[in-house]
Amino acid sequence: MLKILLSLGLLMGSLFAKETLTIYTYDSFAASWGPAPLIKKAFEKKYDCKLKFVATDSAIGAFRKVQLEGKNTKADIVLGLDTNTAELARKSGLFAKHHTDTSKLSLPIKWNDDTFVPFDYSYFAFVYDSNKLKNAPTSFDELANMPKNFKIIIEDPRSSTPGLGLLLWVKATYGNKAGAYWKKLAPHILTITKGWSEAYNLFLKGEADMVLSYTTSPAYHIIEEKKYNYKTANFKAGHYAQIEIAGMLKSSKHKDLANKFLNFMLSDEFANIIPTTNWSYPVVKTKKGLPKAFSLLYVPSKMILMNGKTVEKNRKAYINEWLKALAR
Amino acid sequence: MLKEYWRFKGSLIPGLFVSFALLTLAVLLFLTLFGATDANTTIFGALNQRVIGLLKFTLFQATLSTLFSALLGTLLAWSLAHQPRFFSRSLLIALFSSSLVLPTIIVVFGLITILGRNGWLNHLSNYLFHHSFEGFLYGLSGILIAHTYLNASFAARGLLHSFESIPKERYKLAKSLGFSTFKRFVIIEFPAIKSTLFSISSTIFLLCFTSFAIVLILGGNPSYNTLEVAIYEAVKLDFNISFALELAFVQLSISVILVIFSSSLKTSVSNIKMQESVIPWRDAFGVRVLQKITIFISGLFFILPLVAIFHDGITADFTHIIKSVVFIKSFSTSIIIASISSVITVFFTLFLANSKRNFALYYRIPKSGIGKLLAFLISFSGTLYLAIPSLVLGLGFFLLSQRFFAPANFWATFALLSANILMSLPFSLSVLYPSMLKTAKRYDKLCFSLGISGYERWKYCEWPYLKESIGYVLALSFCLSLGDLGVISLFGNQDFSTLPWYLYGLMGSYRNSDASGVALILLVLVLSIFIFVPKLFKGDGFAKN
Repeated sequence: MLKILLSLGLLMGSLFAKETLTIYTYDSFAASWGPAPLIKKAFEKKYDCKLKFVATDSAIGAFRKVQLEGKNTKADIVLGLDTNTAELARKSGLFAKHHTDTSKLSLPIKWNDDTFVPFDYSYFAFVYDSNKLKNAPTSFDELANMPKNFKIIIEDPRSSTPGLGLLLWVKATYGNKAGAYWKKLAPHILTITKGWSEAYNLFLKGEADMVLSYTTSPAYHIIEEKKYNYKTANFKAGHYAQIEIAGMLKSSKHKDLANKFLNFMLSDEFANIIPTTNWSYPVVKTKKGLPKAFSLLYVPSKMILMNGKTVEKNRKAYINEWLKALAR
Repeated sequence: MLKEYWRFKGSLIPGLFVSFALLTLAVLLFLTLFGATDANTTIFGALNQRVIGLLKFTLFQATLSTLFSALLGTLLAWSLAHQPRFFSRSLLIALFSSSLVLPTIIVVFGLITILGRNGWLNHLSNYLFHHSFEGFLYGLSGILIAHTYLNASFAARGLLHSFESIPKERYKLAKSLGFSTFKRFVIIEFPAIKSTLFSISSTIFLLCFTSFAIVLILGGNPSYNTLEVAIYEAVKLDFNISFALELAFVQLSISVILVIFSSSLKTSVSNIKMQESVIPWRDAFGVRVLQKITIFISGLFFILPLVAIFHDGITADFTHIIKSVVFIKSFSTSIIIASISSVITVFFTLFLANSKRNFALYYRIPKSGIGKLLAFLISFSGTLYLAIPSLVLGLGFFLLSQRFFAPANFWATFALLSANILMSLPFSLSVLYPSMLKTAKRYDKLCFSLGISGYERWKYCEWPYLKESIGYVLALSFCLSLGDLGVISLFGNQDFSTLPWYLYGLMGSYRNSDASGVALILLVLVLSIFIFVPKLFKGDGFAKN
């Protein structure tokens, strides 16, 4: 009898207090101008629940926070890691398998990860100002052979995902000779910043000719500022992709709702929010299609992506090679 | 011996209490962190080749940075002291202090606007001489320039006070003895500023030693990193907390050496600034020109980057910024946190300094091993946190918050408040301690013989001479506390954000125009605090000199 009453009480309780889903993510995703507010509105309306985003300084930061909180974590989902850092998260054993039908994904690669679900992607690329630079390099070799005073700004692979992306991009391109390439490129590197934001702001100040960013970065300038002069240096041999992912935690007490959210990431509603808030491509094709400005963007003819397991196994060695090559 | 200690219990106990509380907090944080590691931690296991390389470079860089900051700071303070009527001098002095307390990222961007590859200097020189200095701001030179920029003005501000405290009779005497300007500096001025100079220099050294954002953004090369970067890598990427702790210990041991070094320096001269007074010595024409040029050029060097922040921010859409709910929240959080932590900082500093001076005045408490140890503990507890990476500090607080349950925002507030106080203490101590030592030397005999103590003593003998420094320390710690990025990163959420955190978020999502606007708001806020708060403390107060 007591049991029935209790479960009735619980049922009543859940009828009145809406279930809350908590997502840990990186700051610009959760920002008031980021995707989070729009996604929250759409998801809460659809599933009559509450959605809470908790921002940390980076996606890795969000994941580390979950690790530190252990079993007591309030997080149900960690959102924002990418394929290069997925293994590091998977190894922790904290993530549960998803129940999302990933067959309707329209990614440049086939997706067969049973733990993580992608929610957006873009390609790393060097961005330049076409008012100042006429002949942008079309390959890494051309980049290293630019005139002496041609300078680029990159991010540190130890503290930034674009930085790690470039490291892997060069590694995938040059293999054993990656170290030698970094040595050749070194005189053109004006500086190496902690994160994307410092690098990009330095570039906008006109400090360097190019900055490591994304192929989708020019869309921001076109849509928000009506500026058409920011372009990407298009490398014929292909561009390294960044596919951002989300995963549900084993410790989650709202697995049902969490699964609904992972599914929701592949919905038209979610996909329509992504391009102009996170400035990247959604992972499914929608009826509405992409904003017009996106048709002006360069789509790499070839996508480069290193296997996540290879990355995790060799990350330390790659970073050491990079450090050694650039050491003075 | 106990009798002597007992005699000064009133001044000893509060300071020692604060000091032990700070040390306990540090020990608690480290124990919590140790609990999270695999326990087989050896302190010197961390010293692999790369770490040694970083350590060597960091020592080199920090030494040079400190040297330049101290030299420029002394030169500037000397010039200002001898040019009491220089145009808009007091505004200049207020501006000098603001660079240290603005979020580094803003200052660095201001500096880049002036000296960067695409900066005003290069444009000017291109226009005039068809020559560009290119990217001289990147690399070792950039690190040194930025560190000198940030710290020399702080040093100048502190030293100026020491210069102005030199009794005018000494100048008169020196003049009658026919001293040259140089001899005057060596015999009269240097001994008077020495203790302040060394205490400020060791603070500057630690600041440069642990510098993070600057070495990354201007260093241009991973060889020019500091240990902080390695710590960041260990915590974030490898999640190797024990390695991070080992690195933190290496950093701590260096700060211990520094504290021992700087506290062993004797403070010899007892001067306190009496009133606004002009040094009774009119220098030769050449010297005066040199002083004026120094002030003018360093004025340009220190103020132009602030002008650049103004210039970049003024075009921002302020109605749009101010309307944002997140902005209002961050703004009010920052103001509230800063008000509370700056007041607590001032009290803590007064307690610590009041306690510490007992051990430096041997007629109060005779020299002894225990006295030395206690004096060291007080200095150490005050500067300790300069050496603890904010990332490690934040991690420690976060683990504590996991262990001891409390309402959601309690730990965030506690961590932020503590971090702010701990961060401001070294600066406020380096400003207030020398002054308090001097008031003690000057008034102890009088007070002891007349039996003036407690509130009376404070009101007539301490406050009139300390109030100006207290006003400055209050402003300084308020601005330092407006927001720290390292500690809040693990606690941040929609309900809890500070102004610099908000600014960094804007920068991280293409919103550089809004970011410049917020930077300008921060600059105006900091400047007004620096100009108006010390003014409140300047008035006649209780006692007239």
